[in-house]
Amino acid sequence: MSTAHWDPQAGHLLSPDGKWYWDGLTQEWKPATGQAAPHTAAPAEPPARPQPERGLSSFTGTVRSEDLGFGQPVLVWARWILIGTGLLLSFWSPSDPTTLKVQLAAIVALAFGNFYLHVQLLRGHPALDTVVYGASLADIGVVTALVLVQGGFQSPVFIFYFAAVVGISVAFPTWLTAGYTALAIGVYGVVSLATATTDELPAVFTRLLMIAAVAVCGNLFARSETKRRTEAIRVHDEMLDEIEQKGGTENVQPA
Amino acid sequence: MSSPREVRSAKQAEQEDLFFGQAVILWARWSVIVAGIVIVLWTSNTVDLLTRTMPFFLVLMAVNFFLHGRYVMGSPLNRVAVTAASVVDLVLITAILVLWPGAHGLKSDFFVLYFPVVFAFALVFTRQVEVAYTGLAMVAYAAASFLTDPSIITNGIEAKDLVMRLIVIAALGFLGNYYFRIQRGRLARASAGAKAV
Repeated sequence: MSTAHWDPQAGHLLSPDGKWYWDGLTQEWKPATGQAAPHTAAPAEPPARPQPERGLSSFTGTVRSEDLGFGQPVLVWARWILIGTGLLLSFWSPSDPTTLKVQLAAIVALAFGNFYLHVQLLRGHPALDTVVYGASLADIGVVTALVLVQGGFQSPVFIFYFAAVVGISVAFPTWLTAGYTALAIGVYGVVSLATATTDELPAVFTRLLMIAAVAVCGNLFARSETKRRTEAIRVHDEMLDEIEQKGGTENVQPA
Repeated sequence: MSSPREVRSAKQAEQEDLFFGQAVILWARWSVIVAGIVIVLWTSNTVDLLTRTMPFFLVLMAVNFFLHGRYVMGSPLNRVAVTAASVVDLVLITAILVLWPGAHGLKSDFFVLYFPVVFAFALVFTRQVEVAYTGLAMVAYAAASFLTDPSIITNGIEAKDLVMRLIVIAALGFLGNYYFRIQRGRLARASAGAKAV
């Protein structure tokens, strides 16, 4: 994406096409042609055509969100914790072969997927949004499958919903966090209501409320951080304008 | 990749993080209060039980009203007070696990109350403080479980449940603080751009 850039010769900001400059006194863009030191912008290079990707990502679109990229490490580590703990506990006094097979198959599938996502991160090339969204759906699906295999409400592995929701809440935008959390709560709520006794309903309520609480806390924090960063960048831009008004020529870079 | 130059002093950074992050801790505490009050109203069959348990949450609610009010007015608590209030949260939840009528310790379903509290704390404080707090929560839960039922050690299934829950408490602390540190880096880069001018 092209942005305004600093012209050190003329001492002001130029628009991406070089035809406009930012007048800090009047706080508006003005044509660059009337300037004492006209700036001849080099013809913009045509945007490079996106090269077809050959990895798994090529099947799923091209969008990478910055916030999601920074939240991906949390998602990946949350999933490794889920996988590691799941493996450890699967081999710790297993109940029956069928349950163990389902557990191991689900965990190994999740591990392969997470390995791919982690490699992408290590290469400095976070996975595409749709891949991340799909992986988080898989997390909820795997935890739900384990809960169902172990008897629904009685299953102790429901706590892995928390690890999954933590990653989602800090990485995804609010509306998606709400959607995924509602999905997790809805699915687990239905499973629990179908398998719990009347006396256990308060416990079901507590579990569901705490899943929602974790999602709210994570997303609240992520939004707060976005505002703080935006404010820091706004301060930076205002300082640039002030320098321009004073005719300063400090060597500064736009945020 | 070079690490961003942090232009704030460590003390300034901690104060800012505490100021902006305190809301998360307040909301986590609200979730515990709401859960507690609903459970009390739902499960209490006698006036005696209701009068013994409800005041506990009413007091906590009043305290959180005060803390939230101060936050909204722009004068949130300092670091020591927030830490102390968060430790009180752990004490309260552990007391619920041990003293609440019905199932106790490991068999109590209220252990999930630890999760939002530990996660919210990890989003606000530096790594050392977070590790200490998460460790305290784990020790408190393990102690509550062992004290109410020492046979956990010899019961493989119960020991497994306890280990699983302790791992998830630790994971929430780790993940919360991991994200906190990622965000510190991003904010430091943005702030460094501003100060460089």
